[in-house]
Formats: sequence, C-alpha cells, structure tokens
Amino acid sequence: MQLFIETLLSGLALGLVYSVIALGYTMVYGVLELINFAHSEIFMFGGIVGVELLLGVLTKTTWHPLLQLVFALIVGAAASGVLAVTVERVAYRPLRLRGAPRLVPLISAIGMSLFLQDIVRLVESLFGNFNRPFPSYIKGDEPDFFAITHPLVSGATISNTTLTIFVVGAIMLAGLTYFVNYTKTGRAIRAVAQDQSTSSLMGINVNNIITVTFLLGGALGGVAGVLYALKFGTLNPYSGFLPGLKAFTAAVLGGIGSIPGAMLGGVVLGLLEQLAAQYISSSYKDIIAFGLLILILIFRPSGLLGRKVSEKV
Amino acid sequence: MTAKPSEVMLELKNVNTFYGQIHALKGISFTVNKGEIVTLIGGNGAGKTTTLRTISSLKTPKTGEVIYKGKALHTTPTHDIVKLGMAHVPEGRRIFPRLTIRENLEIGAFSINGKDVIEERIQNGYKIFPRLKEREKQLGGTLSGGEQQMLAFARALMIDPEMILLDEPSMGLSPLFVETIFDSIRALNAAGKTILLVEQNALMALGIANRGYVLQTGEIVLSGTGSDLAQNDEVRKKYLGED
Repeated sequence: MQLFIETLLSGLALGLVYSVIALGYTMVYGVLELINFAHSEIFMFGGIVGVELLLGVLTKTTWHPLLQLVFALIVGAAASGVLAVTVERVAYRPLRLRGAPRLVPLISAIGMSLFLQDIVRLVESLFGNFNRPFPSYIKGDEPDFFAITHPLVSGATISNTTLTIFVVGAIMLAGLTYFVNYTKTGRAIRAVAQDQSTSSLMGINVNNIITVTFLLGGALGGVAGVLYALKFGTLNPYSGFLPGLKAFTAAVLGGIGSIPGAMLGGVVLGLLEQLAAQYISSSYKDIIAFGLLILILIFRPSGLLGRKVSEKV
Repeated sequence: MTAKPSEVMLELKNVNTFYGQIHALKGISFTVNKGEIVTLIGGNGAGKTTTLRTISSLKTPKTGEVIYKGKALHTTPTHDIVKLGMAHVPEGRRIFPRLTIRENLEIGAFSINGKDVIEERIQNGYKIFPRLKEREKQLGGTLSGGEQQMLAFARALMIDPEMILLDEPSMGLSPLFVETIFDSIRALNAAGKTILLVEQNALMALGIANRGYVLQTGEIVLSGTGSDLAQNDEVRKKYLGED
C-alpha cells in the first residue's frame, strides 16, 4: 500500500510536469495547427537557465530555498517565453505570411529544434558544464529542504519536491484555465483558434494573439523545465527531446488543441509511466506506457477530450 | 427610402483584385452614400463576396483604391477597419462555434473598451433579438442558421457601426427568417446605419435598396435605383428568374 501510494504521487508529479509542457504544444496547435517541435528545446532552455541561475547566483544568497526556486521559475519562464516568441518570429511567421503549405513550417520546427540543441551545446562548451545537479540545500546538520518528507497514510511519505511540483503545477493549470476562459485576451486566443479571418473582422490583431500564445506556451515550458530539473536532478542540451516527445504525446492523448485535454493527457501519461516502471519493468516503462496510449487512441482516435466532429457549420 | 444625394461614405475607384492568376474584380468603381442601402447583385462567382473582402482588407487589391470617410482602406489592416466604424458580417455568418452567444458578442466588442458600454450593447442586442438572450450561455455552434444570422447582426452592432457590410444574409434561411432578417436590415437603416448588401436573392435586395449595382464576372454591368433595376428586363430575366 505504501509503495502504491508513493508510486501514484510520483506519477502524478511527473504527469503534472508533462501537462505543463503539453499546454505549450496544444495552444500553438490550437491557433496555428502547427506542431511546434522546438517546444522541447524551449522547455530545456528555461530549465537550464533556471538551474544555472540557482547554482551561479541564488544559492549564494541566504534566501529560503523555496524563494530561490520561485525566482528561478520566474526567470526560467521569462527566458523560455522570449525564446518561443523569437522562434515564431524567425522560423514560422515569415512562412505563414508567404502562405507556405502546412508541411513547411513543420520542417522548420524540426530544424529549429536541432538548431537550439546545438546552440545550447555550443554555449555550454564555451562557458562550462550545464549538466550539473540541481542544488541541494544542506546547511550544517539540516537536511536538504527539498528532500524532507512528510508522513501520509499507511506509512507512505511525500517529499517537499513532490509537494512543490503539485503546488506549482496546479497554479499553472488553474492560472492558464482562468486566463483563457475569463480574460479578454484569452477569449481572443480562443476566437483566433476557431477562425482567423473573422477574428480580424472583429478587430483582433491576429499576429499579436499568436505572439501572446507563443509567449504563454513558452513560459509554461520554462516553468516545467525548472520543475523537471528539481525532480530529476540534471538537464543537458539534449534533455528536452524525450520529455518533449512525451508531452506532445500527452497533448495528442488528451485531444490536440484542447487545453483541459493536455492537462488530463499529461497526468494519465505520467501515472501510466510511473506505474509501469514500478510494477512491471523500469527499462520497458516507455514501451508499456506508449503501448497503452496506442490502445486508448484506437478507441478514442480524437483523444480523451478531443472533438469528435469538425466544427464546420 | 429617400436617399439624400449627399455625403459619399464609401468609394471604390477602379479596383482590381486577383486570386493568384484569376482576375476576380476587373476595375470596379462604385459609391455608397451616407444613410443609403446599396445592394450588389449577381450570380455565383460574379465577385460580390470578393468586393466585400477587398473593402475589409481581407484581400488586397492589386490596383485601385478603397476610400471610406476619406481614409484609404486598401492600406489599412483588417483589424483596424472596425475602429473606423465599419462592420462586416461575412458570408456564412462565421459565428465562433465554440464560444457562447455572450462570448461571441464580447468578441464583437474587442476593439472597444468600457465594461458598461459593452454590457449596454449586449443588452441592446438581446432586446432586438430576444431569442439570443434565452440562449446566452449556449455555444454558437448549437444555433440554427437563422439564429446564427441574428447573432452575426448583434455581434456587428457591438461596435455601433456607421456602416455595415452584409454578405448574403438570407443564405440558407427559411422564407420566414428571410423576412425577419430583411426587416432588421430596414430597421438598422432607419436607425441611421449605411448598408452595403450583397445578395443572391435579388428581388428582396432590390426591394429595400436605394440603389443597386449588377456584377457579372468581376465587372459592374448595370446600375440604377432599386426600383429601376427591379423593372429592368435583363435583370428580371437573369436574376429574378422570369422569362
């Protein structure tokens, strides 16, 4: 029982991280029908910026570890948000304005993904090693803050790391849901996702809304990057690829283009992966999780919360 | 229906628009005066919708000018045109299917600020079309064609426009709804709105228009007052289905 509860908690934390990354894929897909393959590197970039900031600056302060983390999250989010907007300006917008067929920006997305990996690697080779562990907060005989555990039922425990991921992840999901559903800009994002030319007839500057979408999706990716480093310890220039792929899968599982779908898809995938690793085989966890995914998609091809029919009226 | 031969509100001067190699508008020129209802009639593919899309900058003309209240629309981006007081109700209504009725109206007010004004205009739209109020929280995609047309009108009114472009408002509607829609066009005009109406239902359109233009394969082939055109032999034969 203890093991089961702890596996669920760990799977849920992993799933929340996937959810927050998956939102970036699904929002961009929603407005542009583009799979932004560079999002995995945008995620990795924010994580590395956050970790480097912690190691280089913040751990030298006397701030509480949580405050340091919040600061790293904000800076990581800003870095990823700006990077995502830049990628859109440089690699996608020129193609869109020239009316390129849909496959073309997809190729430039893959190109951007590889380009960003190598740029970060280049910077790393010039300025030192990014592959450093997330700082531990041991002072004297105090234990590491994020490793502290609290007892739950049946002897199971929950660590500060997992709690932090729960809280930050939940704030991200709730904040985005509020923004998209109850603010003027959020409404405009939904309008642009449904019909760009009519949106412009309503006075919406479609390109500005696309920029906002990349900024938000990118910032969420940056937050996820720092949380991922907190959970797994290290990030390197190639760390974005696999979690990015899994988050994209989560977005498809939930129904690509659907914001609640991305949230649900991420959590489902994280739980499946963790349960498979714990109870079946940790080396085959991905095969098992992805096998189940294929099965789910066979029965719900448009995803768990995806729209079944096209909305043409 | 007394048109004051006064102020020109909208003027197209020798407009040429292309879709790739296809020459869709071949040197179109016409004017709409303040307070008028002007209709463009013509068959499928005559260039009626393209004309409205060119006015709204959704299509950029290759040559020629579109002047609205002294401003050049062909160099103004679409999203800035609403701020000049021109609303465009597109072909097929184009309601946002996954926004609620209320959200559709709120999006119509995207270019204006002020909670109170927006709320007042939403309530005003509900007064004109009470059916929309009943369905306030329903998604746009669940409405019938006629209800969607009402919503499209109410949405266009959110900016309190001086001029409204209407693209085939009667398309796909039952005869009863067509009556209702034409009644509301008349009411809008009576309330001071200038209207440019594109219609396949030429009989109805000419019946309420001060003036009309007949479009054929991208050119204006005839023009005149609504009643003159309605009595023109060629128009009757071609567009009113008489032998």
